[in-house]
Amino acid sequence: MVSEKDHNVSRRQFLTYTLTGVGGFMAAGMILPMARFAIDPVLQAGAAGDMTAVADVSDLTEQPQRFDFSYEQKDAWYTSEVTETAWIYQEGDEIVALSPTCTHLGCTVNWDANEDYPDQFFCPCHGGRFEKDGKNIEGTPPTEPLHKYEVEVQDGTVYLGKAEPQI
Amino acid sequence: MKWITNDIASFIQERKYIDTALVPLLPVTFGSGVRQSAAMNEFISIISDELERQFKGRMLLVPPFTYLETEDIHQRKERLLEWAAEMKKEGTAHIIYITADSEWKKAEQSLGDLLVWMPLVPLENMDMEYKRQVVSEQIKQLIPLIMEKWKMDT
Repeated sequence: MVSEKDHNVSRRQFLTYTLTGVGGFMAAGMILPMARFAIDPVLQAGAAGDMTAVADVSDLTEQPQRFDFSYEQKDAWYTSEVTETAWIYQEGDEIVALSPTCTHLGCTVNWDANEDYPDQFFCPCHGGRFEKDGKNIEGTPPTEPLHKYEVEVQDGTVYLGKAEPQI
Repeated sequence: MKWITNDIASFIQERKYIDTALVPLLPVTFGSGVRQSAAMNEFISIISDELERQFKGRMLLVPPFTYLETEDIHQRKERLLEWAAEMKKEGTAHIIYITADSEWKKAEQSLGDLLVWMPLVPLENMDMEYKRQVVSEQIKQLIPLIMEKWKMDT
């Protein structure tokens, strides 16, 4: 009979190894999904996200231009195609995209649309006016600047995210 | 503003600014003209939604005024004028009617407000991009018309 000492792996060692191995797998099976949940927001942000391709950088000028874009929106029980507009211009290296929604009551403003007020955004409803950078002009109804879109440029294409208040 | 609770809340609050009603006029028939009736409904809905988006802060898009195609033009005009009287009584200074039904041209003079008649454009055969271009081109033509009405009435 061969004594236990001649074995390369003793019975006790074999049991320890297998138990550690199986236990390790079980622990990993429990911990990994939890870790995944914990870092999930980080992984999400890495994806393309909610940005929409709107224009080519080469189309931009120093004058704000109107760009329409649309995306799908799920609202309770139906999906609808939403069209939005942005006034985009480039000044130096900076690309600025402004929301056309008047901060007074939500009409759509237009650039350089009134002969009396050149180089301003003009609201046809109640005569609200804004500077090129979206700042509201005092004495007109709006009380805050036009909202600004989140801008991202990738491979010469301008992507827009959500419009956020400037103040 | 649209005819939904959310918008109506701001309408009540900002009433003095929202002095214009946009009323779509839609003919209904179940006979041979049913396809045309549906096309008008679709087209006018798109145009009035777009106009509402453009003039949200001054315009209230009310539920469409519907009538049977067979209804006599004088009778439906009378009914429409009742709507108008009610809206004016409640402080609506301007009313804009929008339709694709050319019958209304006959009653235009006696309506007393702005009637916008748009020839029906068959949007159903166009792809998304082209459709958007056509509609935004039409809207561009309508904007000065409406601003002119505001200027004239004051």
